[in-house]
Amino acid sequence: MWQIIKNEWKFLLRNRALIGISLVFILILAASVYLGSLQSKNQTQQYESAKDHVRKQWESIDAMNPHSAAHYGTYVFKPSNLLSSLDDGVNSVTGNVLRVEGHVQNEMVHSEASQMQTVSKFGKLKGSLILQYILPLLLVFLAFHSVSSEKQSGRLKLLVLQGAQPSSIVWAKTISVWLYGIGLLTLTVLVYALFNPQNISAEVLSRTISFYLSYALFYFIVSGLTVFFSARWQNSTIALTSMLGIWILWSIFLPNIILTSVEKLHELPSRNAFQAAMKEDRSKGIDGHNPSDERAKGLKQQVLQEYGVDSLSQLPINFDGIRMQADEEYGNKVWDKHFGNVREVYARQKQSYQFAGIINPFISLQNASMGFTASDNLHHQEFLLQVENYRRSFIKQLNDKHAYGGSKTGDWGWKADNAFFKSVPDYEYQPASLASVFPYYLTDLLFLSGWTLLVSLLLILGTKKMRVI
Amino acid sequence: MRELNIFVYEWKHFSRNPFKVVALLLFVLASVYGLHNGANLYNEQTSEIDKINQQATEGRQQYLAYYDEGKKGPDNRPWIDLSTPFWAVWYSEIYHFKTPSPALVYSVGQAEQYGFYKRVSFRASPYDADMTKEIANPERLQTGTLDFTFALLFLLPLLLLILLYNLKSAEAEQGFLQLIEVQVASKNTWLLSRIAFYVVLLFIVIIALLVYGAILTPVFSSAFTAFSQMLLYSVLYLFLWSTIFYFILRSGTSIMGNTLKMAGVWLLLSFIVPGTVHQWISLVKPVNLMTDFIDVKRDQRQELFQQPDSITKSQLNTLFPEIVDSPVANDDSKSNFAMNRSFAALENELTKKSIASIEADNNEKNGLVKSTFWFNPVVFFQNHFNSIAESHYDDYQDYRREIQKLIDTQVSTMVLDVWHDVKVDKEKYMEYSNKLSRLP
Repeated sequence: MWQIIKNEWKFLLRNRALIGISLVFILILAASVYLGSLQSKNQTQQYESAKDHVRKQWESIDAMNPHSAAHYGTYVFKPSNLLSSLDDGVNSVTGNVLRVEGHVQNEMVHSEASQMQTVSKFGKLKGSLILQYILPLLLVFLAFHSVSSEKQSGRLKLLVLQGAQPSSIVWAKTISVWLYGIGLLTLTVLVYALFNPQNISAEVLSRTISFYLSYALFYFIVSGLTVFFSARWQNSTIALTSMLGIWILWSIFLPNIILTSVEKLHELPSRNAFQAAMKEDRSKGIDGHNPSDERAKGLKQQVLQEYGVDSLSQLPINFDGIRMQADEEYGNKVWDKHFGNVREVYARQKQSYQFAGIINPFISLQNASMGFTASDNLHHQEFLLQVENYRRSFIKQLNDKHAYGGSKTGDWGWKADNAFFKSVPDYEYQPASLASVFPYYLTDLLFLSGWTLLVSLLLILGTKKMRVI
Repeated sequence: MRELNIFVYEWKHFSRNPFKVVALLLFVLASVYGLHNGANLYNEQTSEIDKINQQATEGRQQYLAYYDEGKKGPDNRPWIDLSTPFWAVWYSEIYHFKTPSPALVYSVGQAEQYGFYKRVSFRASPYDADMTKEIANPERLQTGTLDFTFALLFLLPLLLLILLYNLKSAEAEQGFLQLIEVQVASKNTWLLSRIAFYVVLLFIVIIALLVYGAILTPVFSSAFTAFSQMLLYSVLYLFLWSTIFYFILRSGTSIMGNTLKMAGVWLLLSFIVPGTVHQWISLVKPVNLMTDFIDVKRDQRQELFQQPDSITKSQLNTLFPEIVDSPVANDDSKSNFAMNRSFAALENELTKKSIASIEADNNEKNGLVKSTFWFNPVVFFQNHFNSIAESHYDDYQDYRREIQKLIDTQVSTMVLDVWHDVKVDKEKYMEYSNKLSRLP
């Protein structure tokens, strides 16, 4: 079999058109990875500068009432992910700026896609665009006549007469084409490493290996299936058109249709309904800004009792801060319920979409690629959760300062000093580790492996009775 | 007559090729699915607008009831006084909508990237967080909705590829191309006639699909121009690909070579060129993190409140010369309060300045995209289809401008009436509701 693979490669290397195409392809791939890395670096610089700008503003607060500072708030910008130079995922549609303030969990705004007219339906020229859409097509063009041309030229019969097993020939052809894909995939990863040597860590390495593995499996599926068609059908044109049809179905048609259907199956609330439901639930809780609110009065009694005093003026603390924090904690329950529901719907949508990998391995590849490069919705939601947790601790620090910082109830003119504001920690994003999210992508890897097995079986069983002429 | 024979022959060739027939059916199915997606979005947005209008009317009724009951506002919010212009304008419950065009059935475009309703207040801005898109799965947004234009832009060339890939080259490979040459006057006319058959076939299919779309939403009654424009641009797009493929087929003699070239051009124009342009623009004009806008909304707003009253008064006088001799301006006991109420006008001016820079930045990006249209036809057509369906960036930009005009009206109404010490009663509140919801 290795001899056949060697011969195949010799034959491929003699093909000037293929060498030309490969060179152009390598150039585009290298350029895409380079431009992707450059963009990530630019974005990181921009992110750092915006982050510093906002932090400086916070640290330069000379003196301010802590609750006014909660309304002043801060902003969190979505950091660029290093691996997003390989796959941009959902980054261009999710927004980049999140306001962190008291009383409310905000949503991310100002997405890149909303800042200009439509440019590219399939995203930027990143490694993933080429590796997902174009390279498989190239493999199809390499493989579709690999066996049928041997039949037509009579070489297949000759090989069988010389003792080669038809299945070995088919496997050798598959592996030859697959190795071509693997070569370009390896090159992509190497170029990526070349442009980002300082950022290579165990985490990046394990994510890149998983990314690599997913593509390697997919390329085997495409190569194997095309060679199978080439072996089964006398006419290579039918093999080509069948694989083109499959490629269109897998890459263009089904992902779009399935995702749209999945969104209809697990419906998300409209923004208006979502906001109205939160407003309704929120109105049932304590209103931090309204001392005459009945629930605030109840809390007042509880605190007075706790401190063993009769009136707010006798309290050694500022009850306004406690009321604000109670308002916040009630609000948090409301946000958890409603934002939690949305997250659950997203999770169900993702799960259903992942299961579509049974009929379309491209979907599994897309999910795995985005997931391993940390640019899918799961990682985005993880980022939003981290920011919300930060918001809660940020506001609590301000409310605690308001309550226990030395002021008395009703003293809205009291101000915390600059040292306090400087002591409030800035938001630091902790990227999710692969180990913590890997189970989510097992379904995708499982389906890719299942398809690999299925194609292998097709190659073994389906070519046993292959006609050699 | 000879051309007619070629058409008849081609029809037989097409109808006996199940692969081509299935490809056409799949295209029709995808287009119908896309049209339904567009119609669903149109219906969803229309129904959401109706719901919000209903909620706004109910809200206004609630506030009108306070006037009837002689109350200043809700009991649990004693600081609200609906007899003052400040609170009456604040609670005028004005919404502005980006009403979907019935032509949305054809092209969803960027309709899912932006909000289509906005509660307008004198503290609002067209770049507020509530101007963001509807809640949607980001992965679906990234993949995009399969709408009719998706089928047209990306699947139509593929369908054409499947229908045309073996034209002439099949005869050449089977060795009877020379035989055909002696039978027809010109080989090129023969090829052109065969291609023309498929162009006519697809033209009929496109018309049928456009008419089907027009049945799903009131295109004929409300957006007939959009229908004719869609038809025109769809046909132009069909001609573009037919011409490209004609030249490929004319010059090539092998099925594989022709298919490879056709698929290559499709990949180039649909993926590589738009993807490269997108990447290039991201590098030249990176995503705007809106720090200028943030500064206005936060620090510069704080500074406004901290500036001396004399500066605030002078800024207000410049903006509204009518208040210089107003009754409140001459009453020291009321003028400070009126000044506090009028900060929204100064904030609005600051916001407008920062928005101008955001929009200039976005316009530069759009200029860059437009400058590539001559070698980026798919994106050119995509944006044209979006414009026809009123789902283009520019349509949402117009919507933002309308919102800004309504904000300006609210600001000036509120400020002028505060300084003229206007007392708001039920009639005045209703007058506000009417006046503030109309675009100047």
